[in-house]
Amino acid sequence: MRYTIKSRLLAGITLIAAGFLSNAVVAQEVTIAFPADELGATSYNPVTSNNLNSAASLIYDRLIEQDADQSYHPHLATSWEESTDGMSWTFHLKDGVTFHDGSPFNAQSVADWIPDFADTENAYLVAAVASVEVIDNLTVKFVMSRPEPSLLYNLASTFMGVPGAAAFDSMGDDFGVSGAVGTGPFKLDSFAIGLETVLVRNDDYAWASDLSENQGRAHIGKITFREVPDQSTAFLELKTGGIDLLLGVPTPFLEILKAESNVAVIQMPGTGINYMPINVTSAPFDDIKVREATGLAINQEAIVASIYNGVGAPAHNFLISSLPEADVDPALNVSFDFDRAKMLLDEAGWMMGDGAVRSKDGVPLSVKLFTQNGEEFTTLTQVVQAQLADIGMEAVITVFDSSTIRDEYKNNRHQLAVRGYDWNNSDILDWFFSGKRLGYPNVSMWEDAEGQRLNDVAMEDSTNSDERIANFKAYHEYVLSQHLFVPIYQPTKNIAYNSDRLSVPDPVRGTRFRSQTVLDMAVVE
Amino acid sequence: MLIPVSISISVVIFLIVHLLPGDPIDNLIRVGSSTEDRITLVLKYGLDQPLAVQYFRWIGAIFQGDFGEAIVLRRPVADLIAQNLPYSLRLGGAAFAFSSIAGITLGTISATTRSAIVENIMRGFILLGSTVPGFWLALLMILFFAVQLQWFPVSGAKGWSSLVLPVLTIGFGGVALVARVTRVALLDVRREDFVTLLHAKGLPSRTILFRHLMPHAMLPVVTILALRVGWILGGAVTVEFVFGRPGLGSLLIRAIGQRDYPVVQGCLLMLALTVMLGTLIGDVAQAAMDPRIRETKK
Repeated sequence: MRYTIKSRLLAGITLIAAGFLSNAVVAQEVTIAFPADELGATSYNPVTSNNLNSAASLIYDRLIEQDADQSYHPHLATSWEESTDGMSWTFHLKDGVTFHDGSPFNAQSVADWIPDFADTENAYLVAAVASVEVIDNLTVKFVMSRPEPSLLYNLASTFMGVPGAAAFDSMGDDFGVSGAVGTGPFKLDSFAIGLETVLVRNDDYAWASDLSENQGRAHIGKITFREVPDQSTAFLELKTGGIDLLLGVPTPFLEILKAESNVAVIQMPGTGINYMPINVTSAPFDDIKVREATGLAINQEAIVASIYNGVGAPAHNFLISSLPEADVDPALNVSFDFDRAKMLLDEAGWMMGDGAVRSKDGVPLSVKLFTQNGEEFTTLTQVVQAQLADIGMEAVITVFDSSTIRDEYKNNRHQLAVRGYDWNNSDILDWFFSGKRLGYPNVSMWEDAEGQRLNDVAMEDSTNSDERIANFKAYHEYVLSQHLFVPIYQPTKNIAYNSDRLSVPDPVRGTRFRSQTVLDMAVVE
Repeated sequence: MLIPVSISISVVIFLIVHLLPGDPIDNLIRVGSSTEDRITLVLKYGLDQPLAVQYFRWIGAIFQGDFGEAIVLRRPVADLIAQNLPYSLRLGGAAFAFSSIAGITLGTISATTRSAIVENIMRGFILLGSTVPGFWLALLMILFFAVQLQWFPVSGAKGWSSLVLPVLTIGFGGVALVARVTRVALLDVRREDFVTLLHAKGLPSRTILFRHLMPHAMLPVVTILALRVGWILGGAVTVEFVFGRPGLGSLLIRAIGQRDYPVVQGCLLMLALTVMLGTLIGDVAQAAMDPRIRETKK
């Protein structure tokens, strides 16, 4: 009898000890939920994939990193030189870097990797690179077929994480699915498409970029990235400890999250703006005065204060304010001016009658205002509607899903639309205003000879980044002078995490949540 | 019968998917790709062809076991379905088992006790079960069992514990319906003359219930259960999404949003086939249980 009690006690103690031990192991593990726009990646192959998530940035390192102020920082490339005519770039590579399979990273790895992009959808990233020459073991030269001022921007993209050439060739289509080899701080352990990705620490890692405090291996031993499609579910997982860190929290959720005692929130500067394109082919917006008046009716500051509780920043032109091309002639920036808006409408012949809506020749000033479903845009659209009503313009809201609304644009059935984009490069101007893409993405339906000329100059004739900035600025200013859209809001990217479990550096360095931040993250003891 | 139905289903699925406004290429191209890139993609997937041509190309490939390649997700559709189907089958199978076992048990209890209170509660359940939308019930379940009581994980597909809440959510409506049908059927059979005779012979009521009443009462229940297969699969679509479970439903919802035609077609076809298969199995089971049906079908 005594014996059984003893053995039971012993078993109990063992169990408790085992519990402590497993706790210690668990403590080094972190679970992260992907943001909604990163769900559904089917491969971690950076060369061929068209959808890469945050976990890809942990498996592969890039030659260059970009900070939140859009400046470029060395990573696997320690320094680089551009020839004055823009026709060649020389990169000096970091010494002592090895891939997950043990093979060394050197100039040959870069020379083997760039040609892999041929005939993939990501080919445009290196389309201007004619050939890659190995100068010595740690120096590589890109010979260009034309100047490419966006080369550094492209190199900092997740799609240009450097894969291990040997594994890339031997695994074929399985590369990035059943296994992946990069030089990053984490190795791919398992990948269940649509469910989760498990990464384990690369213990040899000692080549972090200067965006991280921690220059050695990561503090966290194992990361599980989970796909949680429903935002409410993801929030409840964070609250109950099922998820430690939530990427891409919608701004309307922030107030609810801040009320939780164990949840901390970090707001990163965003990489896009919300705006309202105006269809210039649809009356009354074929009249530039009506377009300008529409822009002046929108009170960006009031919107930031009322809808977003001061989170984020008002947008007064088409680019995020950290881009140099956003620094345009202040007179061209679009800001709220109620009296001038009313004056312009009077000049255009739209007069205020007895009712609340203006009219011209008996036609009321009633327009269509489209938006896509989701909390992000519907509330904003209602406020825009109210502000337009103040100048005597009646806006009738219709909500579509994101695929259907593009069909409406292409069939030119729209007038005003509230939408957003996410892109931290000024070539977004070409994307949304080039006359070659009318309907969608050129929702403004704007076709203009001078505009196309400035677009061509900016896109094709810039030989170096200074010229490119000047050319895009000129194009941006011309676009602004034509009143093709109303800038509204620069959203922040929001991260929420369980502060009882994790410490996360604030501010987050870089344009996005990537390896530099994960390296500095630690589990709270 | 199954073949003409399958063909008309495939036409309907194809048309619904392709007549939706929007197209998959817009979800594929990224900022910076040129108009030529777009045209290349449209040609690659044959989206410029007339719908009839696209349909026959698709259905022709299906007959050779080729579901095509996902346009946005970039993987063979058969692979995607094969990866997701086991999750859906596990969920659907468990929900089906739960609603039949719990439903029949409850129905039997309520028929044998014959209490009006039980009957009213049951009726309330059925009303709730058939009107409360799955995605909303799912959130309530999460709030109560996962957040308040912390008995089960909020979402995911790890282990059996994560299966409990989705199964309860999907099975909820079924339990009430099956229980009611069981009860009514049992009460009907009870009034038959042979039951009176059995009682007169002095058989214990337990034996009468299980050996003689149940086989008769199960006929309408099997019919209802066969029809439930469609309900369960349909309900699973949104419930999978809320619980963050992989499966045909999650795959389908994502693919519809991105207008990934081959994936939507493949998923819908699988769901439709499962429903038809369910009905077929139901018919066969009925025939096996009731000689009269076997005779008329001959």
